[in-house]
Amino acid sequence: MSAWSFYLSTLAVYFGVDVLSGISLNLQYGYAGVVNLAYIIFQSVGAYVAAATALGPDTGAAAFQHYIFAANLPFPVPLVLATLAGGALAGIVGLFSLRRMRRDYQGAIMLIVSLIALQVVTADVSLFNGSNGLTGVPKPLSWLPLSPLAYQWVYAGWVCIFCIAVYLLVRWLSRSPWGRALKAMRDQEEAAGALGLNITVLRLQVFVVGGLIAGLSGGLLVEYIGAWSPGAWGYAETFVIFTAIFVGGLGNYRGVVLGVLLVPVVFLQVTQFLPQIGYPGLMDSLEWVVIGLLFMLCLLVRPRGLLPERKPLAAEGSLPFEATGLLPYLGRRFGKSAA
Amino acid sequence: MLGTLVSAIAFGIVLASVIAIAAMGFTIQFGLTNVLNLSYGGIMTIGGFAAYLVTSHGLSAWYGLGVGAVAGAIVTLLVGRGIFTMYARRGARVFEMMMVTLGLGLVIDYGLQALSRNNVYEFTVLQSAPFRLGPIILTPIQVIIIGIGLALFAGLEALLRLTRIGKALRAMAADPALARACGIRTRQIIVLTWLLSGALCGLAGVVYIINSQSVGYTTGELFLPLVIAAAILGGAGSPAGAVLASLLMGVVTQVVAAYGGSLYSTAAGFGVLVIVLLSRPSAVLTKQANEELTLA
Repeated sequence: MSAWSFYLSTLAVYFGVDVLSGISLNLQYGYAGVVNLAYIIFQSVGAYVAAATALGPDTGAAAFQHYIFAANLPFPVPLVLATLAGGALAGIVGLFSLRRMRRDYQGAIMLIVSLIALQVVTADVSLFNGSNGLTGVPKPLSWLPLSPLAYQWVYAGWVCIFCIAVYLLVRWLSRSPWGRALKAMRDQEEAAGALGLNITVLRLQVFVVGGLIAGLSGGLLVEYIGAWSPGAWGYAETFVIFTAIFVGGLGNYRGVVLGVLLVPVVFLQVTQFLPQIGYPGLMDSLEWVVIGLLFMLCLLVRPRGLLPERKPLAAEGSLPFEATGLLPYLGRRFGKSAA
Repeated sequence: MLGTLVSAIAFGIVLASVIAIAAMGFTIQFGLTNVLNLSYGGIMTIGGFAAYLVTSHGLSAWYGLGVGAVAGAIVTLLVGRGIFTMYARRGARVFEMMMVTLGLGLVIDYGLQALSRNNVYEFTVLQSAPFRLGPIILTPIQVIIIGIGLALFAGLEALLRLTRIGKALRAMAADPALARACGIRTRQIIVLTWLLSGALCGLAGVVYIINSQSVGYTTGELFLPLVIAAAILGGAGSPAGAVLASLLMGVVTQVVAAYGGSLYSTAAGFGVLVIVLLSRPSAVLTKQANEELTLA
């Protein structure tokens, strides 16, 4: 029984972290149309920073691994630093890659950024211990008098608190005039620019907000699993989250939660229970094959996802991939002068 | 000191030849169909594995080149006519299409991982003793690779500039609707594009594994970013631009490797892309109107 409880609590933590990822990507792509195929590097920088600032100096007992930002900071500080690191990296990357260009170019360039980062961190051992990665990250709430199982559930609850807080914050943001400006930019970039929205600044803003959430999710994950290495952040990991938000439905948060529940959690975990066939590792390969097929199938059969975004009335009847009218998004922002 | 530089440049030209073969195929495909095909790396790996299978059954590597090209052409045609067209009919735009190709790339890469049992296979064909040319030490196969690259570039340019088919290809790249109105059989031209770019892709895969002497499922995935970067730098649809951009990236990568260690060599190649993005944004900025896919 406790094995099940342990397993479920682990799933709960992964679910929470993936929901944060889904919210971040959905804000960036679903709301603002900014294609972030480098998502995983912002999660990773959060994880690395949270690990390095909690591990203490890389001398003495920890001398087997090398890392920068070595510090021994008390519990919530590494998490805050992880969040800020995600945002800061997003700001830097966004400054040179968020130029006005076709969305597929944007996606390809982000993918290249993701692969360069992976290559550099893997090759340069002095940054975050190269391909071996960091390990032995201390558990943040270990001072609580808890059994290992209870600790699991307390940590799952802790992740859950962040999920709810970020969910409420992002929902509020996306309903605000800022959120409607994002949608306007997504659907009719030229027109939104003509109405006086600063497209470049909006993109950078949404990129940094997404980066902050990504950094936080990385910090939460590394403090749970205790280790982080380049094996954990290939481009395919970003693709899984993209698949989740496409399957669930872009542009709304119920869709994100549903998609994350279906794709990374149920879909990738159910395969753990299937009987292993062939040589060891075959199932892992096939898992990725099926994720790729799932995405392609989803785009073919339900391009708007299981829970499609509710379009404003004026945009009813528009085609799945078509742009919608601008006015409904800008109502309140410009409504006063019109009334 | 100068010797190091000269030999680094020579190695750069070898690498550039490999990048250029792939980038020429990529840029033709992208220029004509507007599909930014991220499964291109996976198809390169298919070409490489096809050549590996042929040579491991005792045939010469020259057959391997042919088989790799044919495998690349067939797979690309099937994927292009079968899968991509299906999405285009349902109204997918350039971004959705790119995500589809990324998903397809995942299917191909990890399908090959499953088939190859996650092994890296040695591919040591056509190896012979290196020779000296002043400060430069090259192996005959490296010279052959440069030769193949040059021959393909010359052949492609001749096809595009001197034949009627080439004229039709260029007309399609410039304005598909106008080309159709002028009586060009666009459907056939698209089929030709898939075959031509697929053959170059498969060939590039074989040449790459001859140069690196091993083949594994990540072969194309690791190489694809360099190819895309070269194609973007050179301008979509321009083989000559792709070749020049490949030369730049190949030489920069190898010179940095010679002086600054191999750690940052690949990253430096991408550094070129970033610098160009910042200084010459017109290389990638395209008009909104040009977001239509041309698949049929």
